Amino acid sequence: MLLLGVAVILGFSSRASSEQKSKQKPTQTASDRGSEKLSFNETIQPILSENCYACHGPDPGARKAGMRLDRGDFPFLPHEKDGEKSGPAIVRGEPDKSPLIWKIEAKNPKDRMPPPEAHKTLSAEQISLLRRWIKEGAVYEEHWAFIAPTKVALPEVKEKQWVRNAIDSFILARIEKEGLNHSHEADRRTLIRRVTYDLTGLPPKPADVDSFLADSSPDAYEKAVDRLLASAHYGEHRAHYWLDYARFGDTTGLHQDNYRSVWPYRDYVIRAYNLNKPFDQFVVEQLAGDLLPAENVDQLVATAFNRIHITTNEGGAIPEELQFNLVKDRVETFSTVFLGMTMGCAVCHDHKFDPITQKDFYQMSAFFNNTADKFADDAIAAPAPFVTVPVAEKLAAYNAILSERAGVERKLIARQNLVDENIRAWITSGGPNELHRVSPEKLVAWFPLDEGKGTEVHNRAANASPESYQIAGVAPHWDEKTKFWPSVRFSTGTFLASPSVGDFESTDSFTVAGWFQARQLPQNGGVSETGALLSRMRIDGEKRNGWDMYWDGATSYDKEKKPQKVDGDTGTIDVHLANAGPKNEVLVRTKQRLGRADWYHIAFTYDGSGHASGIHIYVDGKPQELEVVTDALTGSIRTDAPLQFGKRTDAEPLREARYQDIRVYARALDAAEVDALANEDVVKGILGRAPERWSEDERKAVEDLYRLRFDREAGTLRTQLAEFDAKLKELETGGTPSLISRERATLPRSHTLDRGVYSALKERVAPDVPQVLPPLPNGVRRDRLALAQWLVSPGNPLLARVTVNRMWQELFGTGIVETAGDFGVVGARPANRRLLDWLATDFRESGWDVKRMYKLLVMSATYRQSTHVTPELLEKDPQNRLLARGPRYRMDAEMIRDTALAAGGILSERMGGPSSKPYQPAGIWEAVNASFVSDRYVQDHGDGVYRRSLYTYWKRTAPPPLLETFNAPDRSACLVRRERTNTPLQALIVLNSPDFLEAARHLAEHAWHEAGPEEDARLQFMAARVLSRPLQNRELDVFHNALSVFRAHIQTEDGARTLVTVGDSPVDATIPPQELAQWTLVASQFLNLDEALTK
Amino acid sequence: MDAGCQSISESRRSINEMRVFDPCHLPASFDPEVSPELRAEYVRNETRRQFFGKMVRGLGGAAFATLLGDSLLGSIARADEPKPVPPDWRLPNFAPKAKRAIYLCMAGAPSQLDMWDYKPSLANRFNQDLPESVRGGQLLTGMTAGQARFPLAPSIYKFAQYGKSGTWVSELLPHTAKVVDDIAVVKSMWTEAINHDPAITFLLTGNIVAGKPSIGSWIAYGLGRMNENLPTFVVLTSKYYGNAQALFSRLWGSGFLPASYSGVEFRSVGDPVLYLRDPAGLDREARRAMLDGIEKLNQMTYEEVGDPETHARIEQYEMAFRMQASVPELIDFSKESAETLELYGPDAKIPGTFTYNCLLARRMAERGVRFVQIFHRGWDQHDHLPKELVPQCKAVDQACYALITDLKRRGLLDDTLVFWGGEFGRTVYCQGELTASNYGRDHHPKCYTVWLAGGGVKPGIVYGETDDFGYNIVKDPVHVRDLNATILNSLGIDHEKLTYRFQGLDQKLTGVIPAKVVDGLLA
Repeated sequence: MLLLGVAVILGFSSRASSEQKSKQKPTQTASDRGSEKLSFNETIQPILSENCYACHGPDPGARKAGMRLDRGDFPFLPHEKDGEKSGPAIVRGEPDKSPLIWKIEAKNPKDRMPPPEAHKTLSAEQISLLRRWIKEGAVYEEHWAFIAPTKVALPEVKEKQWVRNAIDSFILARIEKEGLNHSHEADRRTLIRRVTYDLTGLPPKPADVDSFLADSSPDAYEKAVDRLLASAHYGEHRAHYWLDYARFGDTTGLHQDNYRSVWPYRDYVIRAYNLNKPFDQFVVEQLAGDLLPAENVDQLVATAFNRIHITTNEGGAIPEELQFNLVKDRVETFSTVFLGMTMGCAVCHDHKFDPITQKDFYQMSAFFNNTADKFADDAIAAPAPFVTVPVAEKLAAYNAILSERAGVERKLIARQNLVDENIRAWITSGGPNELHRVSPEKLVAWFPLDEGKGTEVHNRAANASPESYQIAGVAPHWDEKTKFWPSVRFSTGTFLASPSVGDFESTDSFTVAGWFQARQLPQNGGVSETGALLSRMRIDGEKRNGWDMYWDGATSYDKEKKPQKVDGDTGTIDVHLANAGPKNEVLVRTKQRLGRADWYHIAFTYDGSGHASGIHIYVDGKPQELEVVTDALTGSIRTDAPLQFGKRTDAEPLREARYQDIRVYARALDAAEVDALANEDVVKGILGRAPERWSEDERKAVEDLYRLRFDREAGTLRTQLAEFDAKLKELETGGTPSLISRERATLPRSHTLDRGVYSALKERVAPDVPQVLPPLPNGVRRDRLALAQWLVSPGNPLLARVTVNRMWQELFGTGIVETAGDFGVVGARPANRRLLDWLATDFRESGWDVKRMYKLLVMSATYRQSTHVTPELLEKDPQNRLLARGPRYRMDAEMIRDTALAAGGILSERMGGPSSKPYQPAGIWEAVNASFVSDRYVQDHGDGVYRRSLYTYWKRTAPPPLLETFNAPDRSACLVRRERTNTPLQALIVLNSPDFLEAARHLAEHAWHEAGPEEDARLQFMAARVLSRPLQNRELDVFHNALSVFRAHIQTEDGARTLVTVGDSPVDATIPPQELAQWTLVASQFLNLDEALTK
Repeated sequence: MDAGCQSISESRRSINEMRVFDPCHLPASFDPEVSPELRAEYVRNETRRQFFGKMVRGLGGAAFATLLGDSLLGSIARADEPKPVPPDWRLPNFAPKAKRAIYLCMAGAPSQLDMWDYKPSLANRFNQDLPESVRGGQLLTGMTAGQARFPLAPSIYKFAQYGKSGTWVSELLPHTAKVVDDIAVVKSMWTEAINHDPAITFLLTGNIVAGKPSIGSWIAYGLGRMNENLPTFVVLTSKYYGNAQALFSRLWGSGFLPASYSGVEFRSVGDPVLYLRDPAGLDREARRAMLDGIEKLNQMTYEEVGDPETHARIEQYEMAFRMQASVPELIDFSKESAETLELYGPDAKIPGTFTYNCLLARRMAERGVRFVQIFHRGWDQHDHLPKELVPQCKAVDQACYALITDLKRRGLLDDTLVFWGGEFGRTVYCQGELTASNYGRDHHPKCYTVWLAGGGVKPGIVYGETDDFGYNIVKDPVHVRDLNATILNSLGIDHEKLTYRFQGLDQKLTGVIPAKVVDGLLA
């Protein structure tokens, strides 16, 4: 017994390893054969990457002995580690003289490579391949996927008559080379069923099968294909794949997991496929439709692609950490979906296998780091920015305006592209002379906060004492929410206090000013959302003494003037001058409310009069209308409280605010001075130096000011844009918000992070594409649009390959490259690289014609083969990688449920709109919902229960259980290849869930009425609907037998009634319940057949 | 399970090769309370296992378990797909102390200062400021806004020493206090994450960012199954009282491991397993006839097409049928003795309570479920801590005691690892209003308390120490990574060797930063 066990284990192990080998077999055997030189890419790189790259690959942090084997530049040079020099690892043509070979062949395990801790062993065969490769000259090649594909000539095949299109030449050449035979064409019923599923996700209607069978014309199949490609269901089916890639869900996925309004994006995807939008356009719109600029609302809706990652509103979230995690998701999704690369690996260190550096990752992240969204989702359905998609009647008018607007915006962009020239001309013509600096007279404090790192900041006012301050408590975060330079954020526990600055009396005149960004944190409710921007204020119980400039989030007050309701997103600016507030003080408040996420220059001046009338508040240099709340100050406002950022001496710190260019003057500036302070003073300082010496931030500051103040034409264009925006807003009434991407006006920059830790900023980087790929064109503005256009440009080696590979995977079950999301060094090799390259090139040359590509695939003889598996094929190609037979596999969750609904005749045809909530067992959401979330699953009624599964509401913490059980993902991250497992839980769903039982009952009702009284006729009716074919006699017998058991067991009307009343729809009262129940079970048998679940 | 259906299913075994069953192979955990039906079911399973053994599925040892785990309830793989075979190691790596684990996850972060970490000297410091030197610039969540100072809030609960070990336990846990000699209290747990979502993701998957396999999935992958008709990894969620964060199915997801290693959620509302129950009006014989028909037709499909997946389909439906019997038996407490029910207390009869779930977990342990994870939420006491903590503790206290006691008296504690704990701790300073009877506590990742018991854990010890403020660890810190390494260790797994190749790397539960097994916790 024990012996048997051991034998079985061994038996399995050897089988497993032969299977693993067979995985690589198609590529290896091809190159091993004959006297052809070994290919580095096909044979050697897989051995080296698997066994050596982790320590001798692209990541210098992990590199051992200074030796690098992944690229040809290194192994032939001497290398050095810790001062110790070694010779080259490989001597071309001389395996016996190559230390690499000595190492892998070392007798003593201590000396042998790979070392024991790597848990890897080279086989004798692998060692001999390495020897042979070195002997043949050790030629390195660039990784195959980074070399642009070319349209290679079609290979010669023996059986030319089998070939229907180019695909077949490539496939057949391989099959013939392996000494196998292709399969015959599938019978016509199988074919129409297969292609209908692949193009629409639904079973063919029996009438469609019949008319296809009746059409004996040679192009009958092609006509059917064209009909299916024209069906609206085509777009729905394609979309269910794309929504996995784009990680689309109806909720935020973290913390409260609230609803958010993005379903218009789902409909955009469906529409794009149905309109056969060229794929390059589809890609550009999703990545950067806002920057095109958008000429219709779809191009804006498309940009939800960058927004539909998971988000949170957790109160303690740290903004930088959150932003980094979300930007990382954007980069990972981008690189997985469009490049087939795993860039996430380079977050912490240079990629261990692919030539992707850590810097590459962060340069890519800079493209996605400059969007205007706040990152925390505020637990609302449409956190800004969003577009309100107008109702259908207004859509045409809306798009017309948007199109006109785009024309104006293009002019503005064109002007911006000329900005260098214009600024030069402006400087030459003495324009800067118009700019004003503010006199430094009585400037007592100037904190530019441009240190960029660390905890020491400087007071740069002349004769300041002290000149520098240590920030206490929680370290401040420096990052890229730039105004003039990389900005700084103070946490609640961050303290910057100066006892010596701002010690003013109520009779002194003074000015306090600076750039502020109130906060980008999650909204949490509560009065703590208010607080001092800058203060010198002592709070003693209810009393306050001193002065402050205060962000006030309250929207209403009680009789005692205490704040009541608070708006988490906007606030007024209050100025307090208090002897003993709130009674003895002056309190004035701006009428305008400011947004939290934006930078504002905020200033107040005070003339020493002791009255409210002596205070002026300015925002962005403009004087504000003020409300005088209290004007009852007598006596002194002096206090021993220090000048503090974001705090007073009590509670209510202004949480997590940003500060820049903070100034205090011991005099009241006049309005012109404040205006200059906001806009001109800093820039005038920059203009004092030669442009060549400007930093990129300084150049940006000059450009911004020039555009704002001096480019009159741009001003006119901006005014026009605002007019369009007002018209658009009118048309939005009654529409649906949908999240979009929008670029901020700041420089798109990022920092490399030490080990990927959000707070460990290293080098500042500008947006760029990975160095191993073709560069961005010169002179292009580096934003998401440039990235998108680079992606679809002809020189990009990856996009077309990765895309056609996924199309192939959708139809054939497995891609030509099995690892659809990883075309890198450790990804699978293409089973047929020439075919992949041919398809990629063809796809691009066709103008990225998506329908044409799907048509090409389904028209091929390869696709049309029978799925019959012979023992020979099972032995030689168990996974069907060579495609000597047709594709056969269990369908996706959506297809399985939709099949049942279609077979039962209850599938709703309604397309698009808000997501639907079909049947769901009680308690699914409640089991995971946060206690403070009241969202409950409220099932739809009417056609909401019967809509196609891709419209099902996708709550990411608890995805639709029926779909999830069949391997649909939770959509919390991009997924380009679903797993396909078989579990008993799936069987229980098809057997027992109301979706399937109700569909079965409807199928039974239809059969009862439409097929007549004969049992066989009813069974054949069901077979036509579910299997698209008639049953054979032996199959009919099985059903008859089952029916007789059902008849014996379902005899009472009551029992039968409970069985047939599953679901919302009324029961057909014209059929005796017992009989309906019996036939419902038969129908259920049909839906549970392997053949029904399998495509 | 009714007799009729048994006879039918029995007859169906004729397709299998019947072999003489050796009763010595009954696992030791089968106690007298196991029903004869279950025993019979086990015998049948054993027979099936032998049948499958012929089909390249090994017998005995980890390879066997792993393959079953892959191929049966979790998933019936396509016959033509390579199985995820562990690399050149075989699990367990060394003799395991525990064969299974019960993981009591207190989501939301229980207040260690009010339950376990006794700080008598704080009593005199009520409302005094936490010294800056103690806080040491520690990152705050930002929720502690609304207060400029950090006033100390001593626990209002009385502590006493219990057992031979003299472990200090607060009056909130009178029952758990009775088993302190069976558990190891760790006062020096710490983590890096300060917010719930990243922290619980870190605790359960070893990584702050979502998407990695959960600990239960790793264990299911490494050790495989011990029962064919129940999942290897079961998740139970419990009723709670306090402030609770959301849970995510990805917390028990399999990440990049095959989906078959995901936790299967058992529900307390409706069917324990989704759609387990046949529709009313359909009896088991009719169901059997239905499945027989399906199988015959599938067999014809197989003959026609020759796709091995069709055979997987047949087995999938058979397993579903068997599960329809094994799960109701599992959740049927009617044969539990009055004494047992009394041990657990009245909640044991209320599905969905933590207590009910603990009793269910014991039954699963007996039946060979490898990893049971019970979530109890509501431990997030930012304010009004006393009001919420009392019922929260009450909901778990007796159940924990009963679970340990019950496992022990059945001889199951020796090879069952039990873990109790949350994702981080709570601050000694008050959040929100501080009065003599009311306070709240913010998140505190720098130290907190968990406990372990059973399978290989040193009983009756307190491991690690914190400072007088319960703010910093002063002795024997245990990082989340170390905890996970230790849990794997007691199951016989070397955390360095339990790897899965993904994106070119041998991924581990404990990640790339070194982790160490906490020897001091192991017997």
